[in-house]
Amino acid sequence: MAADKNPSGSAGPEQAPQKQPPSKEHKKKKDEKKDEDLSDEDLALKQQLELYVERVQDSDPGVQKLALESMRQEIRTATSSMTSVPKPLKFLRPHYGTLKEYFEKMPESDLKKYLADILSVLALTMSAEGERESLKYRLLGSEGDIGSWGHEYVRNLAGEIAQEFQKRQYDDMPIDALMELVQQIVAFHMKHNAEPEAVDLLMEVEDLDLLVEYVDATNYKRACLYLTSSSSYLPSPDDILALDIAYTIYIKFEDLASALRIALYLDNIQYVKQVYTSTEDLLLKKQFSYIIARHGLALELDDDIVADESDREALQDIVNNAKLSEGYLTLARDIEVMEPKSPEDIYKVHLIDGRASASSSLDSARQNLAATFVNAFVNAGFGQDKLMTVLSESSTGGSSGSWLFKNKEHGKASAAASLGMILLWDVDSGLAQIDKYLHSTDNHVVAGALLGVGIVNCGIKNDCDPALAVLIDYINKEDTIIRIGAILGLGIAYAGSHKEEVRSRLSQFLGDPKTPLELLVFSALSLGLVYVGSCSEEIAQSIIFALMDRSDTELGEPLTRLLPVALGLLYLGKQESVEATAEVSKTFNEKIKKYCDVTLMSLAYAGTGNVLKVQRLLGICSQHLDKGETHQGPAVLGIALIAMAEELGLEMAVRSLERLLQYGEQNIRRAVPLALGMLCISNPKVNVMDTLSRLSHDADADVSMAAIISLGLIGAGTNNARIAGMLRNLSSYYYKEAGHLFCVRIAQGLVHLGKGLLTLSPYHSDRFLLSPTALAGLVIILHACLDMKSVILGKYHYLLYILVLAMQPRMMLTVDEKLKPLSVPVRVGQAVDVVGQAGRPKTITGFQTHSTPVLLAAGERAELATDKYIPLTPVLEGFVILKENPDYRDDH
Amino acid sequence: MPTVSVKWQKELFPAVEIDTTQPPIVFKSQLYTLTGVPPERQKIMVKGGLLKDDADWSTLGVKDGQKLMMMGTADEIVKAPEKGPVFMEDLPEEEQVVAVGHSAGLYNLGNTCYLNSTLQCLHLVPELKSALLSYTNSGRSNELDQYSHLLTVATRDLFSELDRSIRPVAPLQFLTVLRKKFPQFAQQQNGTYMQQDAEECWTQLIYALSQSLRSSESSEVPAAVKTLFGIDLVSRVHCAESGEESLETESIYALKCHISQDVNHLHEGLKHGLKSELEKVSPSLGRSAIYTKESRISELPRYLTVQFVRFFWKRESNQKAKILRKVDYPLELDVYEFCSEELRQKLQAPRQMLRDIENAKLGLKTQDKSNASKANECNMPQPEGSVGNQGEPSSNSHDKANSSDGKTQLTGIYDLVAVLTHKGRSADSGHYVAWVKQESGKWIQYDDNNPILQREEDITKLSGGGDWHMAYICMYKARVV
Repeated sequence: MAADKNPSGSAGPEQAPQKQPPSKEHKKKKDEKKDEDLSDEDLALKQQLELYVERVQDSDPGVQKLALESMRQEIRTATSSMTSVPKPLKFLRPHYGTLKEYFEKMPESDLKKYLADILSVLALTMSAEGERESLKYRLLGSEGDIGSWGHEYVRNLAGEIAQEFQKRQYDDMPIDALMELVQQIVAFHMKHNAEPEAVDLLMEVEDLDLLVEYVDATNYKRACLYLTSSSSYLPSPDDILALDIAYTIYIKFEDLASALRIALYLDNIQYVKQVYTSTEDLLLKKQFSYIIARHGLALELDDDIVADESDREALQDIVNNAKLSEGYLTLARDIEVMEPKSPEDIYKVHLIDGRASASSSLDSARQNLAATFVNAFVNAGFGQDKLMTVLSESSTGGSSGSWLFKNKEHGKASAAASLGMILLWDVDSGLAQIDKYLHSTDNHVVAGALLGVGIVNCGIKNDCDPALAVLIDYINKEDTIIRIGAILGLGIAYAGSHKEEVRSRLSQFLGDPKTPLELLVFSALSLGLVYVGSCSEEIAQSIIFALMDRSDTELGEPLTRLLPVALGLLYLGKQESVEATAEVSKTFNEKIKKYCDVTLMSLAYAGTGNVLKVQRLLGICSQHLDKGETHQGPAVLGIALIAMAEELGLEMAVRSLERLLQYGEQNIRRAVPLALGMLCISNPKVNVMDTLSRLSHDADADVSMAAIISLGLIGAGTNNARIAGMLRNLSSYYYKEAGHLFCVRIAQGLVHLGKGLLTLSPYHSDRFLLSPTALAGLVIILHACLDMKSVILGKYHYLLYILVLAMQPRMMLTVDEKLKPLSVPVRVGQAVDVVGQAGRPKTITGFQTHSTPVLLAAGERAELATDKYIPLTPVLEGFVILKENPDYRDDH
Repeated sequence: MPTVSVKWQKELFPAVEIDTTQPPIVFKSQLYTLTGVPPERQKIMVKGGLLKDDADWSTLGVKDGQKLMMMGTADEIVKAPEKGPVFMEDLPEEEQVVAVGHSAGLYNLGNTCYLNSTLQCLHLVPELKSALLSYTNSGRSNELDQYSHLLTVATRDLFSELDRSIRPVAPLQFLTVLRKKFPQFAQQQNGTYMQQDAEECWTQLIYALSQSLRSSESSEVPAAVKTLFGIDLVSRVHCAESGEESLETESIYALKCHISQDVNHLHEGLKHGLKSELEKVSPSLGRSAIYTKESRISELPRYLTVQFVRFFWKRESNQKAKILRKVDYPLELDVYEFCSEELRQKLQAPRQMLRDIENAKLGLKTQDKSNASKANECNMPQPEGSVGNQGEPSSNSHDKANSSDGKTQLTGIYDLVAVLTHKGRSADSGHYVAWVKQESGKWIQYDDNNPILQREEDITKLSGGGDWHMAYICMYKARVV
């Protein structure tokens, strides 16, 4: 009845103007005048209610019952809408106290319960803060249908339950009655499109399991979406619990692809296997395998998962990424970028305003090295280029490899390894082409070729283990550079695989105090990569011993900073598991203690979004240090690594970093550009781009070089024209500074990574999953860049190839049931956050329709634009298997 | 005997039989016939690594139908070229200069930018350098004072150091000698050396060099400085009152561009500068009278120096004031109209030749254009670039350096090669900077120890009219045929 009336201006419209002007007085006298203001209708209602209140206190139960019934009727009809306090509630307010008093005096009876119901509703507006009277009377009441009192009542009740629950838990009081109510409320919420409220309530009362019973086929998706996205804001272990529930629900409703995503997020192999065994559909299993391959999980499929051997082989092939190269080249051919590009095509010197730097007739070794990297990055995975592969066809020994020998010493290693990058993922022809360099007499070339073998096999597993077979023989050779090449190659090829053979062979170097430092560092790094996130005690021990054994001078070497990183990689993203090791690290030598401590913490919490850890790291950055301490650099990087987990934290981190830039000391400022680069990797946000562009002209050489590299990182694989322009200008600005120019070239190569088909972002699957190997690769590069001059600009430039771990095609390739590429129309647009929205909201905005294969930029999402096919995965990224829609009818 | 399939590159050889009684080398030679890869280069992946030639098949557990992978190619092994490339980084420092493409900067030793900029401008004149090189330490003749000698030696040493180094040079020695020779540059104020007028420095330096280089007997080119920079003027002094007229000749080292209200361009300023009024005693009238003096150039130098008279003594405030007026100057200057009749006659023929050459070039150029119509739009340094003869003068100068002059003739047309600018409001403060065109055709701004690459179109923007650097002295190089 009140729904169509203006509830607050109870006066009729004709009276309103008169009463309005003396607004201040009006307010004061409001209470007195209230009665007069009421319209006839309202006055009648008021009097009616007052009458009911009196009658409730009547001695005759019949009268009482009638009065209660009528009152209930009035309230119920009024609470349907909740834009303001409904009139009956308003008019009953003065009598709340009276009714409460009377209620206490009433003897136990049905009527008393009736009254309790009404009091419970009245308490919605009347109860003092913290009294939770609504809940109290509800529990005393008749326990009728909770929804009949309206949505607002339920919400209020839910809030009070949460408070009451905490109190009762604290006081150790029984909660059974509460839980019953919770069940009612959850059921109500789930029925009325209020999944977030239901989930929130269950989280408050710590009984998420209940949710599984109440979700149905229509709302499980929204509930799970809310669960997964809220999990990143939950403290541990609640977040795991929420995801567990989401997983259970997905399994319950046989949304197995979604369940698999959760399983991968939880890094729970048991769950992954369960997902496989939950279905008999081979096609679906193939889709699972694609998702796992993208994630980089080394999974051995066994008989339990697939019984049939040939099927298993087919699935294992997919998991092993054996078809990645093929798919990538399909994309490249479709987009017509197969034509190889030379470094000059990237530099675009002719676009620089008359400032083309002096083209000397002489080769500069550094510039050639830069060109080698640019060539490798740009032509990554295409199998052809204009420097390394082109001449080998002529097969005249003298001319082939002429570019190789235009590099100097260590440069030759990087040049030979670049072949691996160009032939990335194509193990068969890659190994064939690299083979001839293995027989070279030049140690640098052999080392590069070994590293190249590792790079080709990056992310690809093969039953024959060619990388292991080839590389393992070289790790005990005489020459240090050859050994480094083989060791780093193994690390890259078997990253994340937990390969026992690699561990047993490399551990010997860690244990031997006579191992040269660089060999030690690279062995540790490789082990860190192979056993990333494994929490392997054994390896951790040996790295720790190595750190303890080494002398002061060795700990002071620039390369030593990578040892704590290697240690941290073992615990990448594993949160508390690191604590024991972190405790041990406190006993280290002064020189490396804090560095180690900060690095371990930042890596263990990388990608978790843990706000407390970010705060701690910010605290470390706010200290003013005595000279010589370097641990603030990794602290800044740590902020980025932890905060990049979700969008809000990321934005906040960008702002905090801006602050650090203004007030921080030099060693902090040097790390800030790298942190920004990590936060927005392959995602050129304009504000970050501007900051980095500003920093790239900074007076401090380390800051400007880091900013330049970071420009490359944020633009990696995007072909972003603005960044490309900035870098061109920088190349003429720094034409005299060899170090800066080298950085500019590397950044230019990164921006055009894979001619714009690749991404370095470790996140995939709708920015939900974080590939640990990709993250590991990035972390190593970031730490190496903290001391640019002695590592990247020194003789360890080949560390840059570790970026290959993070390289993934940013494609969406649809395949049919025979896994042959299938072109279908898709809509690609900016992803919209639909968490907590009712109904079926649009998930993308500003879309364009393309036909597959397509490229997906950061923050973009794709959806099928046809009903003819059904995708087997909810997230259209990477390889997507399409099934024909049986219900599809062609309109024509 | 198990049968395996062998995968090699993209090929698959099914059903290869292994004779397990024979050593693996036999199997390898089997594969050699299939793939052409010599056994020693075959890498066959089996359990536990590569297949060794002397391995025992039974321990390897090769199963029937197993897939083996073989790596290896018959490709020739890459060999390093006999002669490795020479890298810039390997060169000794001196040679790296060539690669950088311009010479080093000069450190500011405390208000010495006037000196640095002057030196950088003069440093670009190769003829001066060669003249200095042939100046020997002992070559001092008696009439030359010691400081002039020392200054010449210091200049020579400094110039060669500039050529050799890629790092900025500190002209300590030179500065000490200069201050000895010309004590006015050693003026101090509040304990520091004062800023000086670059023009004064320039003039004094040229003068000192002209003295020493002329007197040096060993110098092949007599009076080198005079032929390089000297301008001979023939002036007609005329008195309107008495009708007297006389001819005077004089030799100067710079043309002056007077700046007044109606001077907007270098040409007008030069015209002003060549016409002056003076008051002197007229012998016929017996009192002082106003004479007008009109000068014409009778002899042109290789390098024409033009000074913008931007500073004047302001009597009311008792200080040197600066005229900020914008005076445009061209990249190509034709002084034909300032020449005497006689000189004009001489210039006729070479000018015609030059015109012919240029026309021929233009003819060629139009053809080029039809081929690549858009070639002009991009800013690539092209041979036909804005002046169109960047290569030519330098090659000519080489000719000249080898053979003594006489073959080449002046044309009266000059190209801008150096600008010395001043930034600031008065002569004793502000900052002097040299903008010098390199042999490669690029412009370098020498801001003390910091050489910066500049674009040619920015050079003409130094014409004044604001607070930006403005041209104070311009040096033009003769275009010869």
